[in-house]
Amino acid sequence: MHIPDGYLSPQTYIPLAGVFVAVAAVAVKKVKKEVSAKSIPYLGMASAFSFLIMMFNLPIPGGTTGHAVGSAVIAIILGPWATVIAVSVALIIQALIFGDGGITAIGANCVNMAIFMPFAAYFTFKLINLKSQKPLRIFIASFISGYLSLVLASILTAIEFGIQPIIATSADGKALYCPYNLSIAIPAMAIEHLILFGIAEGLITALIVRYFFKHEPTMIYALNKGGKNE
Amino acid sequence: MENNLPVFLLNKNVQNNSFQKTRKSKLPFLEKTLKKIAVTIKLMYLQSEVTSGKKILHIHPQVKVFSFIYLIVVISLANNIKSQLSAFFFIVVFYLISKISYKYVYKKIIFLSFVFGLLIFLPASLNVITPGKIVFRIFTFNSPFHFLIYNVPQIIGITDSGIHVVELLFLRVLNSISLAMLFLYSSSFPQLIKGFKVFFIPDTFLMIISLAYKFIFILSKSIEETYFALKSRLAGNVHNKNAQNIISGRVFYIFKKAQSNYENTYAAMISKGYYGKVIFQNETKIKVADIYFLLIALITGITITLI
Repeated sequence: MHIPDGYLSPQTYIPLAGVFVAVAAVAVKKVKKEVSAKSIPYLGMASAFSFLIMMFNLPIPGGTTGHAVGSAVIAIILGPWATVIAVSVALIIQALIFGDGGITAIGANCVNMAIFMPFAAYFTFKLINLKSQKPLRIFIASFISGYLSLVLASILTAIEFGIQPIIATSADGKALYCPYNLSIAIPAMAIEHLILFGIAEGLITALIVRYFFKHEPTMIYALNKGGKNE
Repeated sequence: MENNLPVFLLNKNVQNNSFQKTRKSKLPFLEKTLKKIAVTIKLMYLQSEVTSGKKILHIHPQVKVFSFIYLIVVISLANNIKSQLSAFFFIVVFYLISKISYKYVYKKIIFLSFVFGLLIFLPASLNVITPGKIVFRIFTFNSPFHFLIYNVPQIIGITDSGIHVVELLFLRVLNSISLAMLFLYSSSFPQLIKGFKVFFIPDTFLMIISLAYKFIFILSKSIEETYFALKSRLAGNVHNKNAQNIISGRVFYIFKKAQSNYENTYAAMISKGYYGKVIFQNETKIKVADIYFLLIALITGITITLI
């Protein structure tokens, strides 16, 4: 899911960086409203939490382990706006320390995983769970929100790749950036996420939300009527 | 007196009684997590250690961030192989000037460039992706055919245009990764964050990144400690269902711990006079050496573009 440098043309990464900056600014304002002066350390905490949650390996059926992107579970627990900041910061730190994801692609990666994915997950969860407090329903809603949000985010990423041969080619028609068009990029990304990574993401989201619900349901933003973080 | 021990330490683990002779880890998934965290901490530490004493480290953070981002953008805009080769040459020179030992980074550069720059783009050399004159035949069908949404030609082979596309993309990814590594390993994280002020990123956002960076250190330590506490009382293997519960519990614990950290940090900030407004201190002034560095970066960028 992390797009490296060199894959996207400036026509793609510059507007996406703009979208990210605009949404991040709104997110900071929104969270400031909810947690007032505590917003800075709160968001620092949320970012560290999302950074670390991406590192936790969990056993998944088939005898292997997997780790989540984490945006869905964080969106359900902390709310989508806090997740925008938390996951963006986690992605920025990943890019700056590990080189995971390109520097020019930070905006694109944040749009996919820190903006689109948490909102998709949050609204899917709300739509399926409604106001239910039944553990099974919460588990299913969490699973579907994790699964669906990752699959949709992977398709969005594929679209960003897939439009490169259309918008950025040389005079003789050669690809200058990612050479795979939409008919290749979308199936390649969607299939692996539909049958493998999406299930892992859904399962990890559901298991963690179930644990939170069992031990401290008031902590779950998506279940909280007012949606306050405090 | 209330017992504050975590639940997993209070629960009797039935597997303690069945000492299984196995060399395998009892908690392979936690081992993996811990390994990842250890690598993170090592990298964070290494980054700050490796940078000390390097010439590029002393460049003004804003000048450095601007120069590197400018060069990365130039590399992303350079659309011919000659430009990319010249960029590679300049990057090697920068490595030599910075005195960063290539041994710290070359494995990562080679691995990432091979996977993201070559392996992924290799199919683009085929005529089904990049049409052109076939220079190497791979497979010949009886006739061209239609498969799902794809038109498959009779001859599958590597084209001259395909080779050109792969070369260009490989060089661009290699250069971007090499430059990013040079940038990362020649800057301490706090310095790097200060440098982002040049792009008018609000202080609030930079402060959140800095705090998150520090929290990661603190929380990583907690993860390690809870892991050892858990490991010390397990003798057998852990079933998947229990394992999932353990990990979910650890995530929950990390969240609680993070929450308490943030409350304490907030209290500390208040005691130091924080009133809701963040001002990121950056007292270093731009020196002559910084201007030279900026000029070198600008000339390099222009040269790459013009070649």
